Amino acid sequence: MNDIQTLHAMLYSGDVSSEELTRFYISEIEKSNPVLNSFVYTDFGNALESAKRADKRIKEGKGSMLTGIPFALKDNICTEGVPTTCCSKILSGFRPCYDATAYSKLKAEGAVLLGKTNMDEFAMGSASETSVYGAPLNPVDLSRVAGGSSGGSAAAVRAGLAPYALGSDTGGSVRQPASFCGVVGFKPSYGAVSRYGLIAYGSSLDQIGTLTLTVKDAAFVFDAVRGADGMDMTSSDIEKTPLSGEVGGLRIAVVKEFFEGLGADIKKAVLSAIEEYEKAGAQVGEVSLPSLGDVLPVYYIIACAEASSNLGRYDGIRYGYRAENYSSVDEMIIKTRTEGFGKEVQKRIMLGTYVLSSGYYDAYYKKARILRERVKEEFKKLFGTFDVIMAPTVPQTAFPLGFTERNPIDMYLSDVCTVPANIAGLPAVSVPCGEDAEGLPVGLQIIGDRFKDYPTLSAAHFADLSGITRRKNSVGGGVK
Amino acid sequence: MAISTDEIKALARLAKLEFDDERCETFKEEFNEIIEFAGKINGAIVGNSSDIREIVGEETQYAELREDEERESLPPEKITSGAEAQNGYFTVRRVVK
Repeated sequence: MNDIQTLHAMLYSGDVSSEELTRFYISEIEKSNPVLNSFVYTDFGNALESAKRADKRIKEGKGSMLTGIPFALKDNICTEGVPTTCCSKILSGFRPCYDATAYSKLKAEGAVLLGKTNMDEFAMGSASETSVYGAPLNPVDLSRVAGGSSGGSAAAVRAGLAPYALGSDTGGSVRQPASFCGVVGFKPSYGAVSRYGLIAYGSSLDQIGTLTLTVKDAAFVFDAVRGADGMDMTSSDIEKTPLSGEVGGLRIAVVKEFFEGLGADIKKAVLSAIEEYEKAGAQVGEVSLPSLGDVLPVYYIIACAEASSNLGRYDGIRYGYRAENYSSVDEMIIKTRTEGFGKEVQKRIMLGTYVLSSGYYDAYYKKARILRERVKEEFKKLFGTFDVIMAPTVPQTAFPLGFTERNPIDMYLSDVCTVPANIAGLPAVSVPCGEDAEGLPVGLQIIGDRFKDYPTLSAAHFADLSGITRRKNSVGGGVK
Repeated sequence: MAISTDEIKALARLAKLEFDDERCETFKEEFNEIIEFAGKINGAIVGNSSDIREIVGEETQYAELREDEERESLPPEKITSGAEAQNGYFTVRRVVK
């Protein structure tokens, strides 16, 4: 499997054309996707056309880093004329009439879209099992989930069906599947990448992120998609700094709450990775963030409240699925939504409606907003003394198929290490740092201060440079 | 605080969803579990607090507002292309008799 940097060099030296490269990925998808179920839509004819245009551009010397390199998009990112369903029945047949900003930026670079990837319905889940197309499988172990909600994107990159993919992260949906599949998952600061055309789940938390083989690749894709956008007033430009991977003097916070209730193998893999940083000159300090104890209910209240409002737009009138039999417009809307949304989505809409309803607003939503501010304050204080936080990405390795449906609350609890970055709008990246006893990947999460996306990636780049991301086993005290 | 079947039906009406009796029963248990989970925050803040605006600061940094000028929009044919439509309007089956 080749990273973006290698593919770019191959394309520019003339070793391979974009068309040949695209044909290679198409054949990989044809071979593996019937089993992995990573992609839910592909259009190879269009992909080859884009590849030919990219070849011309490269020949004319007008290409950039991503020109001619194929990629995949999560199915909640709008693509004009190309089906975008959020893996939900309610958006069946929906072809957006505009492109998401992140996608149009990749298009402008001459990147080649292979297709749309599988995900939890409306990005609500941690295993991609709520997808109307069925769950994507984890290429590392086919009896396990790829994670969620960007499970298809992570699995596609891990299996070599695409060199990179975009996902979205509302509570860990890029980082958790990256951790489960053993790839790099980067969630930028809230606002660093325009959300225009990203189908909304929790608007104050949603962020488009990247799934790649290396940290440098994450930076290349981030370079291309980030920036202020007139179509998203929460978007802004951030300062770009080089990815040196230099960690001498880097101040690393180890937050003790992130290490509670962890599997032994995971704890060992993450702590031994942090030791590598220390050996290279980083300073490590242990701290406590007491408000993290409340962060999960806070997250679910805010995300579901925003979802209940955002998903109010699905009425069957303007796009997607419409119920067949009705005798009034109201009945049509109710039937459309009841038949069109899956169980998990309906549950979250109901929870959101509940916490926003009069009588419960003060007890739930208002308190959650206050606690959110407390979390942000604690992080702000921490980043006065530290550059990054290092933590596990997920307290577990990839779940067996079917686990999340049988244990819904456990699924919510597994988001404990990823949601804080969304609550506070911070950049966070998950890099592989070893395996558990069963050979399943473990993720090291590096969280940075708001808009310090590049310094955060630079800290993570050390994991690639030092070989942490290529460790096969960290159990038993050693690296194989 | 457990939620009743009637409350679930009322919530469903607000959310424009339909829960029949059978579904209400199975959903009740699941929903109570998640409400209990969400209710954990009630231990973190006791009693009611003052106006949310006093506590919640500036949530996001906003980009500069553009001038309020008319801009070209998507053509109606394009917007209505994914649904039942006529002459640039979305249509539903006739329900007024």
